[in-house]
Amino acid sequence: MNAETFLIILSGIPWTIAITVGAFTMGALLGIPLCAMRVSKSGILRYMATMIILILRSIPPIVWLFFLYFGIGSGYLQVGPIESSIIALGLITSANLAEIYRGALKSIHVGQWEASHALNMPRWSIFKDIMVPQLVRVILPSATSYMIGLLKDSAIASTVGVTEVAFQANFVSRRQFQGLEVFAVAGLFYILISLPIAAIARYTDGVMRAKVAR
Amino acid sequence: MDQLQHQNRVTFPGLDSDQGSVRGQVERKSSMANQTVKPKIVERDEIVRVSNLGKSFGTHKVLEGINLTVRSGEVLAIIGPSGSGKSTLLRCLNQLEPQTEGIITLAGITLDAAKPASKKQLNDLRRAAGMVFQSFNLFPHLTVLQNVSLPQQRVLGRTKADADTRSRALLERVGLANKADHYPVRCSGGQQQRIAIARALALDPKIMLFDEPTSALDPELGLEVLAVMKELAEAGMTMIVVTHEMHFAETVSNRVMIMADGRVLEEGPSASVMRDPQTERAKRFLQAVRNR
Repeated sequence: MNAETFLIILSGIPWTIAITVGAFTMGALLGIPLCAMRVSKSGILRYMATMIILILRSIPPIVWLFFLYFGIGSGYLQVGPIESSIIALGLITSANLAEIYRGALKSIHVGQWEASHALNMPRWSIFKDIMVPQLVRVILPSATSYMIGLLKDSAIASTVGVTEVAFQANFVSRRQFQGLEVFAVAGLFYILISLPIAAIARYTDGVMRAKVAR
Repeated sequence: MDQLQHQNRVTFPGLDSDQGSVRGQVERKSSMANQTVKPKIVERDEIVRVSNLGKSFGTHKVLEGINLTVRSGEVLAIIGPSGSGKSTLLRCLNQLEPQTEGIITLAGITLDAAKPASKKQLNDLRRAAGMVFQSFNLFPHLTVLQNVSLPQQRVLGRTKADADTRSRALLERVGLANKADHYPVRCSGGQQQRIAIARALALDPKIMLFDEPTSALDPELGLEVLAVMKELAEAGMTMIVVTHEMHFAETVSNRVMIMADGRVLEEGPSASVMRDPQTERAKRFLQAVRNR
């Protein structure tokens, strides 16, 4: 284990973070319309959302990735390894976050809606001023633990050649015929990245809880 | 109830004193304390009219053939056993539950079950009617001041400074000026309900609807809410109060309506309905609640 090995693995971190953040952002945004469909008044939309969520979540991430990269990417569209990884993980994330959003919506007492309507608050204000702040509080803990899970799942991008942490570790270990230290270092990096995510989440949750503890 | 008045004296100068002055001797004293103006007798306008109202959930009939009028400045108490449809009736009045039969006219807005209410009608209706819920329903993520202030800014377009000033004045009047910067969880149930009353009043409603405002409170905390409501009534606010507080129904309201099984059993001046009910069912109900 020398400094060069260490640096090579270190050089994977930007890609690991990029895939995690990219997939999470995509999922967080796509999860909103998916959740809206899931709780829609229209039966068809609800059914469609349920099926989309079921399909997205039932198929393992690596199968989605290969489907995109080797399937669609090789024949129909030009999809690079990074794009495929972000899209595959992002799609699965959208399904999971849609369900987290839905749980949060359910957790808001019906009285909050009734009071808002009885006060005659405009729609956008009910959403922006009343619902979103309360939803964020409920969503944040589950969403951050999901994000930490996603960070670890981002390692599957190594299978299509994205030079992130797991790929670099694998590369170094093959070259130097040593696995233990190399993968231990990679593992340590994953821990180091997830610690600040958890810390920020705990801090914000604490602040919000102190304000509106029930 | 009389000692309550001193415990928690509040006045609502924003209200039209003409409305208040016609109600009777007690209130004339309170609103005229610092003035020597002779009370004017004014014609009280009808503010609510409900004709042949019905409400069903699926095949289950909750309300049937309800007729009701409330004049400006009147306080109507609606009492009756649980499940009699009292709350549903109140919720129909501001269309949290649209009725399935009949016509509601409130503050000049007419809503017919036969045709769906337009967005404008709903807005006008809810603007005219303030509502106070059994479970308070304050916004937990906003401070007490923001709870009262934000709806004014969003609904009436008042500036933040203006809304905050009015909110502080209202909180002062419900005796909670010192709680302005707290979050609702830090307030007792009675305080939360008084904040909810201030929040509804801040939008200058023409009529206030109370849906069992003290049912979620222990008796002592209920008293402070009733005191605020009494002051509000004396200041001339038109109120419809669904309640289990018999003393309030008898002494503060002008009229009482007794409901059972989705119908009106009796309706009339509070003294006569409460003391001398005509129907057997109403007699039984009043006896039961009195003997508690």
